[in-house]
Amino acid sequence: MPGWYFDKQELKHTPSGAAGLDYKTEMRYRKEGARFIIDTGMKMDLGYNTTATGVVYYHRFYMFHSFQQFPRFVTACCCLFLAGKVEETPKKCKDIIKIAKALLADNKFATFGSDPKEEVMTLERVLLQTIKFDLQVEHPYLYLLRYAKCLKGDKAKLQKMVQMAWTFVNDSLCTTLSLQWQPEIIAVALMYLAGKLSKFEVVDWVGRNPAHLRWWDMFVEDVTMDLLEDICHQVLDLYSQPEVKSSSESPPPGASRPAAASPSNQSTSRQSNGATTSTTASSASTASSTSEKTQISPETVPPPVNTRIPPPSDVPYPYQTFTHAPPPISYGTPVSFAPPVNTPPPLLGPSPIPSLLSAPPPNAFPPFVNQPPPFTPVVPPPNASFFGNGLPQGHTRHRPPFFPP
Amino acid sequence: MQNNHHSGHPNSTAMNMREKEKYIENFNFPFCEEASKYQKVAKIGQGTFGEVFKARDINNPKKYVAMKKVLMDNEKEGFPITALREIRILQLLKHDNVVNLIEICRTKASAANRYRSTFYLVFDFCEHDLAGLLSNVNVKFSLGEIKKVLQQLLNGLFYIHYNKILHRDMKAANVLITKLGVLKLADFGLARAFSTNKNGMPNRFTNRVVTLWYRPPELLLGERNYGPPVDLWGAGCIMAEMWTRSPIMQGNSEQQQLTLISQLCGSINPQSWPGVEHLELYKKMELPQEQKRKVKERLKPYMKDPYAIDLLDKLLVLDPSKRADADTALNHDFFWTDPMPCELGKMLANHSQSMFEFLAPARRATQINRHHAIPRPTTSAVQDSGYQDRVF
Repeated sequence: MPGWYFDKQELKHTPSGAAGLDYKTEMRYRKEGARFIIDTGMKMDLGYNTTATGVVYYHRFYMFHSFQQFPRFVTACCCLFLAGKVEETPKKCKDIIKIAKALLADNKFATFGSDPKEEVMTLERVLLQTIKFDLQVEHPYLYLLRYAKCLKGDKAKLQKMVQMAWTFVNDSLCTTLSLQWQPEIIAVALMYLAGKLSKFEVVDWVGRNPAHLRWWDMFVEDVTMDLLEDICHQVLDLYSQPEVKSSSESPPPGASRPAAASPSNQSTSRQSNGATTSTTASSASTASSTSEKTQISPETVPPPVNTRIPPPSDVPYPYQTFTHAPPPISYGTPVSFAPPVNTPPPLLGPSPIPSLLSAPPPNAFPPFVNQPPPFTPVVPPPNASFFGNGLPQGHTRHRPPFFPP
Repeated sequence: MQNNHHSGHPNSTAMNMREKEKYIENFNFPFCEEASKYQKVAKIGQGTFGEVFKARDINNPKKYVAMKKVLMDNEKEGFPITALREIRILQLLKHDNVVNLIEICRTKASAANRYRSTFYLVFDFCEHDLAGLLSNVNVKFSLGEIKKVLQQLLNGLFYIHYNKILHRDMKAANVLITKLGVLKLADFGLARAFSTNKNGMPNRFTNRVVTLWYRPPELLLGERNYGPPVDLWGAGCIMAEMWTRSPIMQGNSEQQQLTLISQLCGSINPQSWPGVEHLELYKKMELPQEQKRKVKERLKPYMKDPYAIDLLDKLLVLDPSKRADADTALNHDFFWTDPMPCELGKMLANHSQSMFEFLAPARRATQINRHHAIPRPTTSAVQDSGYQDRVF
C-alpha cells in the first residue's frame, strides 16, 4: 500500500473522470503534460532520468486529483521541479517557469496565475503528500540497457534496435504505462517491438538456459504475448492519435479529427484489445486493423510524439554512439507509405525527416517530427516467424496475474 | 459540451486561490497522515535541518517516536533538497542498526499556516545517544559492551556502504542506542549516494561535510572524490571515545584539526600517504612534519586491550585507501576474542532516564574537560548551507 499500479478500469475511473472529464480528453491532458515535462527538461538539459521521474509523478498525481482542479502545466512544472531535486539535478523554480512561459501559449500560461513561482511552490507540498513521498522511481531505460547487453547478434542491428526501443520508452511516458506495469516489463515489451520493427531477431543471449523460451524469460516471469502486444499497442496508439500540433494548442473538444484518419471505432476496439484472450482472434483483429492503418495516408496522420531524450553518454559500446544520432543505416530506397506489414518504420513524408532510420545531423533532433513513421502493428510477419522456431504463431497463453499478490 | 470550458478558458476551470486553499485544507491525503496523531512530549535535539521532538502515539500511548521537523522557513527552493535526500535514503535503508523511518506526517494546511503544512519525519524512538551516554560518568561500559557497541556501529556502516550510501556525519551524537541496547545510525541529513567512478570520471562531492572533530584528513585537504573511508575515520574517532569518554581531537579550525591529526597519526606527506600531494589544499595547509605516529602510545593508557588498540590503529589511518573498511574491521580479532561482545540491555536498564547530548551539554563540559569547555561544533555544511554551492 499504496501500489502505484492500476488496472485499466481504475485508469478509467480517475478523479478527473468523476468530475466529468471524458477519458479521451484526460488521456490527451496526460500526454500533453508529459510531453511538456519532456520538452522543458530537454530545454534545461535535464537528463532522461529526471524528466522521466517528473512524468511519473505527474501521472500519479492525477490518480488522486483532477485536471479540473489542478491545471496540468502548473502540475507539470512542479513535478519537474521536484524531480530535479530528487535526481540531484536541481533547477531553480523560476528558471523552470521561464521555460514554461516560453513554451506555452499565453492562455495556457495564464493558469499559473499572478505569482507563478508561488503557485508551483504551494503545489509542491500537495504533490509530495499525494505521492506519499515515494520519491524513488525506476524507469525502463536502465533495464533496456541492461537487457541489451545480454543479447547476442549483429552489433549494428542491436544498436539500431536499442535506439528504437529507447525512443519508444521516451514516448511511452506520454501514455499511462508507467501506472500499469513495472519498468522491467515495459522495457521488455518495447524492445520486443523495436526488435520486430528493426528486424533484429534475438536467437541467442548471454545466460541462456533451456528453460528460457524467449530472451526475456531470463528477466521477467510470466509475460505473455498478449501483455507485450497490449503494451506495444499503447505506445503505437500515440502515433495514430489525432494530435494537435505540439503541446501549445489544444483543440476545442470535438474538433474534427482529420477526415481520413482512423475511424474512431477502430481505436475503441484497440482500447479493449487488452481483454482479448484468444490469440487467433487477437492476431486476426490486429491484422485487419493493420491493413486499415497502413492505408492511412501521411497527410491525414497526425504528428507523432517521438520525443527524444538521448541515451546517456557514459554507456559503453555499442550505446555510446546513440548520444545524438544513430549512425546512418542504409535501407536502400526509402519506403513509401502503405509499406508491407513487416517493414520497419521507414521514412515518410515529403522532406527528409529525421527519423529512426536516417541519420539526422548531430544535435538536430527536433522534439517533434512532422510526420509519424507508419509503425506497423505488432504481428508476426506473414512469412517469417520472428522468433524462428521459438513461438508458434498460434501460441495461446492466458494472462495469469503477473505479480502474484 | 463539458470539455469546452476546460480547454478554452483556463481561468474558469482552474480553482482560484481561495478555492484551492479550501481544497487543500479539506483534502484527506491518503498516504500522509496528520502529525496530530502524535503528541509532543519534549524537545530532544536539533537535527541538521530542524528540531527533533519526542512524541507519543495517541492511539498507542506506549509507543514513542522521534519527530524531526522539516525546516522550510528559509527555503527559496521549496522542500529542501537535503530533506528529500534524507527521506530517499532512509526509505532505502532498512536495517537493525539504522534508524527506522516510520512515516512522514504533516500538519493540516489552514489559514493559520498560510496553507502550508509543516512536515515531520517520524522515527522509532531511541532512548539514548552515544554522546549522551559517554558524558554521563554513571554509565559504565564493560569491554564486552564496548565491543557490542562498535560491532553494531560497523555493522550499520557495512550495510549503508554496501547500499552505496555515505553517512558523512559520523559522530557520537548521531549514534543512537535504544534502551534494549540496539545501536542505530541516525541523522542522514548529510548522507548521499555514491558510485565507484565507473567511467573514469572522479566524483565531485562537497568536502564541507562531517563535524570538524570527526572529519578525516582527506576532507580537510579538499578531497572531493571520497568514499566510505570518510565514515570509517569517524568510526575510529568514536571507538577511541568509548574509552576516553570525550572526542579525541577537538580542533577549533580546519588547520588546527589537521595539526591535531598529524600529532596523533604522524606527519602527512607523500611517504605516509602516496598521492596526498595532489589534494587541493595540500600546499595551502600547514602540515607539521617530523611527527611520529602515536596512536597506540597515546591511547594505551585508556584502552588496555591490545586488540582494541590494534583495530583503532587500522581505522585512524591517514591514507584513506589503506584505512580498514567496515568488513575488515568486523573481522578483526577484537570482536572474536574474549570477552566477546555482550548485550547492553542489562547495563542500560540501570538508567531509566534518557541521555541525549542535547540535554547534557553543561554536564559534559564540566565533568570531562576542564580546558575543553568549548561547545561541540555541529556540522559545518549545515550551518553555512555548504551544499548550496554544489546544488544551485
